Amino acid sequence: MTEKFQDHQIRDILKINYKYTMGGQSKFFIEVMKNKKLFGTKCTKCGKTWMPPRINCSDCYEPADWVELNQAGTINVSTIVWYTTSAFIKAVPYGIGFIKLDGAETSLLQGIFSENLVPSKIKKGKRVKAVFNKEREGKMTDFFFVPEDEYENWISKPEYEGGV
Amino acid sequence: MSKPKVAIIGVGITPFKARYLDKTYFELAYDATKLAIEDTNKNGANITHKDLESTVYGIYNELFERQFMPDIFINSYIGMNNKPGTRIAAGGATGGYTVRMAYSEVASGLSDLCLCLGVEKCNDCYDEQTGVTTPEVLNAIAYSADMTYEYPMGMMAASSYVSMVNAHYEEFGNPTEEQMAHVSVKNHGNAMLNPKAQSPMEVTVEDVMNSRIICYPFKLLDCCLYSEASAALILASEEKVKELKIEKPIWITGVGAANTDCFIGNREDMGRLYSNIYAAKAAYKMAELDYNKIKNQIDLAELHDAFSGQEVISYEELGFVPFGEGGSWIERTFEKSGEGPWLDGELPCCPSGGLIGCGHAVGATGIMSTGEAVLQLREEAGKHQVPIEKGRAISHSIGGPGAAYAAVIVMANKEGLK
Ligand SMILES: [Zn+2]
Repeated sequence: MTEKFQDHQIRDILKINYKYTMGGQSKFFIEVMKNKKLFGTKCTKCGKTWMPPRINCSDCYEPADWVELNQAGTINVSTIVWYTTSAFIKAVPYGIGFIKLDGAETSLLQGIFSENLVPSKIKKGKRVKAVFNKEREGKMTDFFFVPEDEYENWISKPEYEGGV
Repeated sequence: MSKPKVAIIGVGITPFKARYLDKTYFELAYDATKLAIEDTNKNGANITHKDLESTVYGIYNELFERQFMPDIFINSYIGMNNKPGTRIAAGGATGGYTVRMAYSEVASGLSDLCLCLGVEKCNDCYDEQTGVTTPEVLNAIAYSADMTYEYPMGMMAASSYVSMVNAHYEEFGNPTEEQMAHVSVKNHGNAMLNPKAQSPMEVTVEDVMNSRIICYPFKLLDCCLYSEASAALILASEEKVKELKIEKPIWITGVGAANTDCFIGNREDMGRLYSNIYAAKAAYKMAELDYNKIKNQIDLAELHDAFSGQEVISYEELGFVPFGEGGSWIERTFEKSGEGPWLDGELPCCPSGGLIGCGHAVGATGIMSTGEAVLQLREEAGKHQVPIEKGRAISHSIGGPGAAYAAVIVMANKEGLK
């Protein structure tokens, strides 16, 4: 082949709309949306508390019952994101971390907001509390965590409120 | 040792590049297949693609390829119609898992000659708001996080891996940022000897430390770049190796894989990549090697260094050093090999440059690293050849949400079988 290569690129997009059912997990999202409560599940056999909730215990193959968890917890591990996906690039820097709610055995990934977002502020062992959006849709983005000492400030903002 | 049943008899790897404007994913796959056939014939055989009995495809992400079931379109383009083809997708571990399934294809007797073919072409993704590819590539990958609980939080590959590295640091006080930076220096440096690498670079620890922050404490030079490439291996049964009069068969003596909990928060210790530990132990057991002595039983390891800190943790989990000593081990490597290249020492890791040096063409990556180990054991790796004394090597693949997938392949040349 002697002809000089010339490239050709096209614009395209893949897009699908959903009305996605949360199935057995639905109660978790309804409680967040309607009641600002965080529900996990507890295995009827081994007693393990799952968060994110699952209505079946993957260890025992037995059902797990819904239990309300505390809205305060401890950061297990965290990071601050400075460069990210196209969907989140406008939000940088943002903190995320795995939070073990009091009473749960597993940790939940959530956003950690802070007025002073530095690694030491959101490091392992720091206590955090859940803050909820006033406008809620029954999604994970309805709530986030803040350092305990910033909680009163955050819930006094017009768009947010504390749990019950 | 029980008799190995399957050998790798040919390797084909295309250059790893940021972008091929002159090739589609199926054209890249064709190139790697052709290279693998040529290499097999250089290795004593005389075959064409018509002799290949089946294909196992490693392709991670449909969104990269802008095509669901991309394997069937490759199958047509590489002239494999009317033969079985199976696609494997296991995140960053797709390549290693694909080698595992190709091994099974031959060891089970279903095929005597099997093509193991990985490809990925990510940089056709394009982010209109920033005018570059990367944020959109990262978004296509981020859909691999749990879509209900994790994606909406802005979780992505780097923040997932950094969580485990940070938890490991909290537990053991390492890897430090400087120790991680050493991995970057080593792998970018080794890549300077690999003509197929995307990111050959002479960088210092300071350069890495001063590169821009991506995800605390990972910096730009701690992270691999996404790449476009294809890699192919040809696997043969023992009878076929004899029939084709293969001069340097490299035997697969151990195959191990494991999927750990994809929810990092469900794990007992967050500072572990449990998938590594289970995959390595299974692979070494099959190869009749010892997890606690493995460093002295192999000549090299092609590791999956998607992020520098994760390579350090992998030293521990793959059994090279005890838990908590990965950080000091990379420092010792530098004491021995100085300014590099880092091709000698207690156990050379990523002589090819790994993912940080070569780039990460996801479905192709683990097949490239397995192919690199094969070329090393044939003593045909070129400028980045390491000394081969034991005749054994491993390749390692890890990936998925929270590095949930891992696969380890153990290989041996004639000496290594003893
Ligand atoms: Zn249970």
